[in-house]
Amino acid sequence: MRRLITILCCGLVAMLATGPAAAKPPIVEIEIRNHLFIPSELVVPANTKIKLVVYNRDPTPEEFESYELNREKIIVGKQKAIVFIGPLKPGTYPFFGEFHPKTAQGTIVAR
Amino acid sequence: MRRTGPLRRSRNWLVRVLLMPAFLSPALLQNVLADGGSVDKVYHPYVYQLERELELRSVVQDDDDPVRDGTQTWRLGIGQSWTDRWFTELYVIGEKTDGRDLSVRAWELEAKWQLTEQGEYWADWGLLFEFEADHDIDAWEASTAVLVAREWGRWVGTANLALIYEWGADVNSEWETRAATQLRYRWKPGLEPAVELYSGEDTKGLGPVLMGNVRAGGRRQLHWEIGVIFGLDSHSTDQTYRALVEFEF
Repeated sequence: MRRLITILCCGLVAMLATGPAAAKPPIVEIEIRNHLFIPSELVVPANTKIKLVVYNRDPTPEEFESYELNREKIIVGKQKAIVFIGPLKPGTYPFFGEFHPKTAQGTIVAR
Repeated sequence: MRRTGPLRRSRNWLVRVLLMPAFLSPALLQNVLADGGSVDKVYHPYVYQLERELELRSVVQDDDDPVRDGTQTWRLGIGQSWTDRWFTELYVIGEKTDGRDLSVRAWELEAKWQLTEQGEYWADWGLLFEFEADHDIDAWEASTAVLVAREWGRWVGTANLALIYEWGADVNSEWETRAATQLRYRWKPGLEPAVELYSGEDTKGLGPVLMGNVRAGGRRQLHWEIGVIFGLDSHSTDQTYRALVEFEF
């Protein structure tokens, strides 16, 4: 039984730790201004990893959060943050800012 | 943590702990020296900036062995992230054993270091450093764990591989290794089912876990986990129940 457990653990670790080298992902930029995401809709290529650069132009912190994208990233006021997303299947993926969820909303459309 | 054996101190523990990642290897899992109690929780490698949390978690053992049966371990912690890479948490650890009421057993300081951005590489990586001081006896424990996570669509696999060193006048100085893995399905924010596998010398366990998040307005939310881990061999506790609540604010 111990050997089986060991094999299972090693197998999972091996799956987690190995993988193909990826090309540099395309960069997509978005701003937070006056507690709004600008633009509020981003169109990105499907099945491609994206490097999303989020610039927070407001003096207060905001968060890029999306359960659908499995991402949660704080962007301190007047700073930027990097969020890697995808590769995404074709579809629409909502995101919002946790500090101002009523105004800071947007979608990523993968085509 | 055994309370018997020769009295021996180690003065080079710090060097050993710092070198732990270099020694971490799945092969070590075959020679684990753990004293049991490996069932706890599975850590993800992520740090969220500006996060503070209060955490309460418990592990209860249910076993034919009357010494183990009913043993409860409780952790109450307060944590805070300092940057988008570092998170620390301080725990007070309580234990209730057969014939002894719940009392403080130890204090623990934990630091998590997120090494890679989520989704940047094929897997996401982090390190967890823990330092535990026993409350009543001369027993210390330091550990380094590699945290790794990988997404497959709605499925997320997470593994923690820890190398631990125990020392002190009242315990055997020894190395231990522990492994904890989790396969989780991101069904919806309020409910995510998972399967967890734990491995230590006296614990080989596998079982289902449920978890979820409940939003409490603004950035405040409650994270909960509950599960039962079934022992897979005669050395392991028959059933270990675990529960966790975290209030993030």
